[in-house]
Amino acid sequence: MGTAFFELRGISKYFAKVIANQDVSFSIQRGEVLALLGENGAGKSTIMKILYGLYKADEGKLFKDGKEIKIDSPKEAMELGISMIQQHFSLVPAHTVTENIILGNVQGVIDYKLFREEIKKLAELYGFELNPNDYIRDLAVGVQQKVEILKALYQKTNLLIMDEPTAVLTPQEAENLMGFVRDFTAQGNSVIFITHKLKEVMSVADRIIVMRAGRVYGDIKRAETNELELSKLMIGRDLNWVTKDDRQESLDQEVRLEIKQVTLQEKTGVPALKDISLTLHKGEILGIAGVSGNGQRELCEIVCGAILPTKGRVLVDGEDITERKIRARIDLGIGYVPADRSSDGMIMDMSIAENMLLKSSYDKKWQKRGFIDKKKLNQYALQEIRDYSIKAPSPETIARGLSGGNQQKVVLAREVDNGEKVIVFDQPTRGLDLGAVNHIHQVILKERAKGKSVLLVSTELSEIFALSDRIAILYKGEIQGVFNSAELTTEKIGLLMAGFREGEVSNDAG
Amino acid sequence: MMQAKLRDLLITNILAIVLGLVASGLMLLFLGKNPVNAYSVLITSVVRDGYTFADIFVKATPLMFTALAFAFTYKANLYNIGAQGQFYIGAVIAAAGSLLLQNILPGWLVLIITLLLTIVGGGLWGAFIGFVKARYNSNEFLVSMMSTYVALAIMNYLLRTFLIEGKAEYPQTDALAASVWLPRIIPGTRLHIGFVLAVLACVGVWVLLYKTPLGYRIRAVGYNAGAAEMSGINAKKLYMLAFFISGALAGVAGFTEVNGVQHMLVQGFNPDLGAAGIGIAILANGNPIGIIFAAILFGALKVGGTIMGQMSGIPSSIIELMQGFVMVFVILSYFVRTWLENNREKRKLQKAVAK
Repeated sequence: MGTAFFELRGISKYFAKVIANQDVSFSIQRGEVLALLGENGAGKSTIMKILYGLYKADEGKLFKDGKEIKIDSPKEAMELGISMIQQHFSLVPAHTVTENIILGNVQGVIDYKLFREEIKKLAELYGFELNPNDYIRDLAVGVQQKVEILKALYQKTNLLIMDEPTAVLTPQEAENLMGFVRDFTAQGNSVIFITHKLKEVMSVADRIIVMRAGRVYGDIKRAETNELELSKLMIGRDLNWVTKDDRQESLDQEVRLEIKQVTLQEKTGVPALKDISLTLHKGEILGIAGVSGNGQRELCEIVCGAILPTKGRVLVDGEDITERKIRARIDLGIGYVPADRSSDGMIMDMSIAENMLLKSSYDKKWQKRGFIDKKKLNQYALQEIRDYSIKAPSPETIARGLSGGNQQKVVLAREVDNGEKVIVFDQPTRGLDLGAVNHIHQVILKERAKGKSVLLVSTELSEIFALSDRIAILYKGEIQGVFNSAELTTEKIGLLMAGFREGEVSNDAG
Repeated sequence: MMQAKLRDLLITNILAIVLGLVASGLMLLFLGKNPVNAYSVLITSVVRDGYTFADIFVKATPLMFTALAFAFTYKANLYNIGAQGQFYIGAVIAAAGSLLLQNILPGWLVLIITLLLTIVGGGLWGAFIGFVKARYNSNEFLVSMMSTYVALAIMNYLLRTFLIEGKAEYPQTDALAASVWLPRIIPGTRLHIGFVLAVLACVGVWVLLYKTPLGYRIRAVGYNAGAAEMSGINAKKLYMLAFFISGALAGVAGFTEVNGVQHMLVQGFNPDLGAAGIGIAILANGNPIGIIFAAILFGALKVGGTIMGQMSGIPSSIIELMQGFVMVFVILSYFVRTWLENNREKRKLQKAVAK
C-alpha cells in the first residue's frame, strides 16, 4: 500500500468528564470507501469533526499524502479537499438549490445564469435529477441530501465525509446513495461513512474501522469479515436478540384502542393525517412504519391527547376519549414515549427521581401532608434504576449527565408504569447503542405479554419487523395498508413507504 | 470533588466582591478621593452603633421581597421585572387599609387584614401579567415593565385625591397611628418584625419550590414547558399562579415599608427596590435562601454608602456603581467556576488515561 491519502495518528480528544477519542489512528486511501462503524457515543462523529476542523484534537497528528497538516477550521479542511455532510443538513430552506450551493463561495455581483449551468452540468455528471431553481423547502429529504452532496462536489471535494447519511432515507433512496458513492470513488475520490448500521457497511465499504468507547477496535477489509464479527467488535459482547418464537397469537383478544376516521387539518390547510382508522388489541404490538415526518408524531399525540383531531374519534375500551386532555388520558393509563425525549419527554435539568414524578405530580401517592414524599419517590426511582439497569449513581443524578440510552430508559421506566393499558412508543430506540436497543425491545415485549397494547412508531424497519404483530404503513398522513408482519417483505414495505399503493406494489414486487 | 467545588464557590465569590470594590475604587480615584479611606469609612460606619447596624436589616427587608418576586417567576422561566409596580400597589393598599381601619379595629387585627390585602392586591396586579401571557401570549417582560408605570400613576393619582394628607399640601398621606406600626424587634433601632416576615417568606418560598408538588410543577414548566405540557401540566394556569405569588411577594414589601418604616405613604418613595431585587436574585442565583444573604449584603452597602456620602463627600451614587460592579463580577464568577470544573475533570481523565 502506498502513502495514505489522509492519515490520523494518535488522536485523543477530551471533553469535560468524557474521553471522546483516545489514541485513534487510521488512514484512508484514494478511491476507498471507509466505513466508520460504532455505537452512538463511540466517538465516530468526534473524530470526523476533528478531521473537518470543527474540533481541535488534544493530542495527535494529521497527515495528507504523508505530509503533516494542521486543520483549524472547516474552511481549511475544504481547501484540502475535505467536505463533511452533517447528520442535520445545513441548507437554507427559503433559498434555491443554486443559492445554497454557491453560498459562501461567491463575491460581488452574482451571475446566476452561469452558476445554474455549472450546477446543472455537475448534477448531470453524477446522474442527479435536480432542478437548480427549486427551493430547498419543496424538496424531499433524499433530494436535499443530494444538494448537500453537490455542494461538496462543487467545492472540488476529494474526501467526502457523511454522518449517518441513510438515517433519513427510504430503502430506495439509500440504494441510490450507495450507487453514487461507488461512482464517486471510482474516480479516485474517497468517502468516509459514519454509521451504526451493519448492513450498509457490508454493502458499500471497502474497509471498516470499528470504534468503541472512543478507541479503534478493528481495522478490517470488508471481504475478510462478516456482520457477526463486526457486531461483536462494536458492542464488545454477545447480544440475545429478541425473536418471535416466544410469542403467542394475539388477534383473538379484545379491542383496546380504536382510532376512527381521524383527520388532522394543519393551519396551512394541508392535512397532517387523513382519514386514519386503526384498531389495537390487548396484548398486541401494532407497528407504524414510514419515513419520519409522514404524520407519525401527530398520530402519537392524538392518542396521548396533546392535540385534538379535526375529525374522527378515539376510543379506549369502547369509551370515547376524543375530547379528554392529556392528564385525563394519563389517569386512564395511556403512556407515551415521545421521539424527542429532550424536548417532550423529560426535564434534563432535573434529577432522575424528579423525572419519574413528571406525569404523576398530581397523584396523591407521591404526597405526604401536601409535600412531596421524597423518600418514597427516591426508593421508587432506585428500584427503577435497578430494574432497567440505568447507569446512574443515585436517584438524585441530574438527567442531563446520563447517556442517551440511559435517559431513554428513564422515560421508558416511567411510561411503562403510567401506561397501564396503552403505551405509545415513538422511535423508542433512535440514536441508541445496540445494548440499550436490545434492552428496550425486551421491555416492550414484556409489556405486551402482560396484555398491554403497544403502538410502536419506528423508521427502523428491522425494529418494526422484530416486534410488531401487525404493521401499518404511514405515508403523507395516510395509511397505505395494514398487514400481518409475516405478509411483508423489506422490499414491499419500502415501496409502500415511498408512496406506492398496495395494488401497485403487488404488481411490482410480487 | 465536592470540596473543590465549595472551594471554588467561596473563592470566586469573594474574589468577585473584592474585584467589584477595586473597580469602584478606581472610579473613586477619578473623583480625586482616596478609596482606602472611603472603604474604611464604609466598613467602620456600618458597625459604629446598634442603630446603624440594625438599619442594614431594615434595608434588606423589602429587598428580600422584591428579590423573591423576581426569583419566583424566574424559576418558571418567566421574567417579572415589574416588582417595583407591585410594591407600589402593595404600599397604596397598606396605607389606605391602615388609615381606613386604624380607628375602627384593634392595631394587631388591622395589621393582619392589611397584610392579607396587600397579598391579594399585589398578587392580582401580578396575576394580570400572567393572564395576558397565558391568554394572548403577550411578552411578560414588557407587560410587567410597563405595569410599573401604571402602578406609579395610580399611586400618584390617589395621593393627590383620596389619600392626600389632611392639610392637602403635599402628595402624601397622613401619618399612620402608632397602633398600626409594625412592632420593633430591638428597642432603640428601626428594626421591625417585617424582617422576620421576610426571612420566613424566603424559607417559605424555598419550601414551596423544592418540597411541594406545586413548586415542582412550576420548576418543571420553567425548565421545559413542552415536556411539562406533554405530561398533563397546564403551563398557562401556572403562569398566572406564579405571577400571582410573585406579585403578592412584592406587594408585601409595600406593607413592611409603609407600616414598618415610613409610617405613611410618600409619592415615589424607594424607587429602586425593583431593580435592586433583580440584582439580588441574580446574585443569589435565584435561590431563596441565598437571597437572604445577598439582600443583607446589599442592605449593608446601602447603609454604608449613605453614611460614606455624608462623611467624606463622596456621592452616594458610587454605592450603586459598586453594587453594579459586584454583580457583574459575581455573574462572571459563575462562568469561571464552570471553566475551572471542566478543566479539573479533563485533567483527571488525562491522568487516569496515562496510568
